[in-house]
Amino acid sequence: MRTPASELFWRWCFITLLLCTCVVVVPLLNVLALSLSDPARVSEVRGLTVFPKGFSLVNYRVLLANPLFMRSILNSVFITVVGTALNLLVTSMAAFALTRPKLPFKRFFMILIIVVMILEPALVTEYLVVKKIGLMGSLWAVILYKTVNVYYLIILMRYFEEIPPSLIEAAQVDGASNMTVLKNIVLPLSKPALATLGLFYGVFHWNEYFRASIYLTDPMKYPLQLILRQFVVLDDTASLIGSGALFSYDEAARLSYDALQASTIIVAILPVLIIYPLILKYYARGVMEGGVKE
Amino acid sequence: MAALSRRRDWTLLILLAPALVYFLVYHLIPIGGMVMAFQDYRIIGKSPFVGLKHFKMLFASPAFMQVLVNTLIISFMKIVLFFPLPIVFALMLNEVRTSFLRKFIQSTTYLPHFLSWVVIAGIWIAFLSPSSGGANQLRGLFGLPPRDYMTDKSAIRWVLFASETWRSLGWDSIIYLAALTSISPSLYESADLDGAGALQKMRFITLPELLPTMVTVFILNMGFFLNAGFDQVFNMMNDSVISVVDILDTYVYRIGLLNMQYSFSTAASLFKGAIGLVLILAAHQGSRRITGKGLW
Repeated sequence: MRTPASELFWRWCFITLLLCTCVVVVPLLNVLALSLSDPARVSEVRGLTVFPKGFSLVNYRVLLANPLFMRSILNSVFITVVGTALNLLVTSMAAFALTRPKLPFKRFFMILIIVVMILEPALVTEYLVVKKIGLMGSLWAVILYKTVNVYYLIILMRYFEEIPPSLIEAAQVDGASNMTVLKNIVLPLSKPALATLGLFYGVFHWNEYFRASIYLTDPMKYPLQLILRQFVVLDDTASLIGSGALFSYDEAARLSYDALQASTIIVAILPVLIIYPLILKYYARGVMEGGVKE
Repeated sequence: MAALSRRRDWTLLILLAPALVYFLVYHLIPIGGMVMAFQDYRIIGKSPFVGLKHFKMLFASPAFMQVLVNTLIISFMKIVLFFPLPIVFALMLNEVRTSFLRKFIQSTTYLPHFLSWVVIAGIWIAFLSPSSGGANQLRGLFGLPPRDYMTDKSAIRWVLFASETWRSLGWDSIIYLAALTSISPSLYESADLDGAGALQKMRFITLPELLPTMVTVFILNMGFFLNAGFDQVFNMMNDSVISVVDILDTYVYRIGLLNMQYSFSTAASLFKGAIGLVLILAAHQGSRRITGKGLW
């Protein structure tokens, strides 16, 4: 039911959309192209190049052979896996307790949650508390500082409230404990919600760099994003070259910084790209296929 | 049975305990600790109360005033100027009828939302590089001389705006797209019968149906006006442009954790928190009054 004039208008809109898509994709492909190019031809890769010039994995081989870099990947994986598991455990336990009518002081706890949501502690006082409880220099300082995201807690509470109370009461009449009800009834019914929150918590942990930069002192404990910040954003190559650092003098002379930086970026993006289809599946699909789902 | 269901179940507190400990250690104790904004903090011994000394220093400091102005300008760009863009994006996307293309555009433009600001800054610094970046290659095509955007005081705030748009345009359009798909098709059908044109349908059906969503999003963002995006600015600023992009959160970090002026930095945080609290409460009330739904 479109007139020729509006047809032309929508065609321009479509071109605009494709342009937006290109603006997102081209810089990403450019980084990928740079990282995969033959070191001898790196200078041919310009800002808008999307295909590698020649092909070589030497940048990745150098990175993966490096103890500091490998260690940072392991640190990031540890922070992400342990952090996300802890997030889901603590958040779902709290959401379950807070949605039970029999919870003592329920009103008080609900007010507490709103207080936590709207009052942000000062960076300095958080730092001093972490120092005081002896977590300074430990990966746990990075993992624990966001054990519960209050917004996610509220989303999960809304989800739990949808579960028919009769299901839970029936189990309790049979003598099931709260933990059993949570484990055997509530959590299995909440898999999509838990998957969505798990993915968001996971991406959050993988992308974390700031708390790591203020709480960690030993470079061997740094997560990948912090190495990336030092190497790519601050362009601090000096501290990363030499014995025991990111690159040997030999490698630094042979390879292009730009290409090594690009490879580091790609390694940092890769896990996000791998789980991205799942994010689309659990969170965005409802919207993409037309249904509205929170 | 009635008596049984009214009975309090104390074992539920065990399930709540880990979260409570977390809130206590990472939220309540640090919030209580902010009393040191009124003290001269000492690591050993008692910190003496000094009243409003740090606040007076703060407001007398031209650096802090500049930081405040920067925060307001950057927030204005990222909240007010950016505001219509995801709406337009959703309206255009809604007209793409080919399912495959629509999904392709969506999957691509949502992706940057999940990349860290460290990664995005890395990509943008490379893209804007005066020697090899894509932006300057494009300028070259139009015969323009290369420009170093990252160290240019007149350009850097627009770099923040553009990179924020790059990251959020797609993702922020989701909520509008959801609102668009929930508009009843019968509204458009009856408009067609009345002979309404595309513009009329846009004006009398689509925009009014989107209005509640727009209001909610706008009000919610206003509640976080003083944030201005720490991670973005922290990763994109450099010594050449710090005077125009330094925002409250980066300032608090620098004077607090780098210069170790603990009490002074906490005073700045407290100032930000107090204004932020007023903004959030206003946003909550405003949202409740206009849409019937608050923030909590």
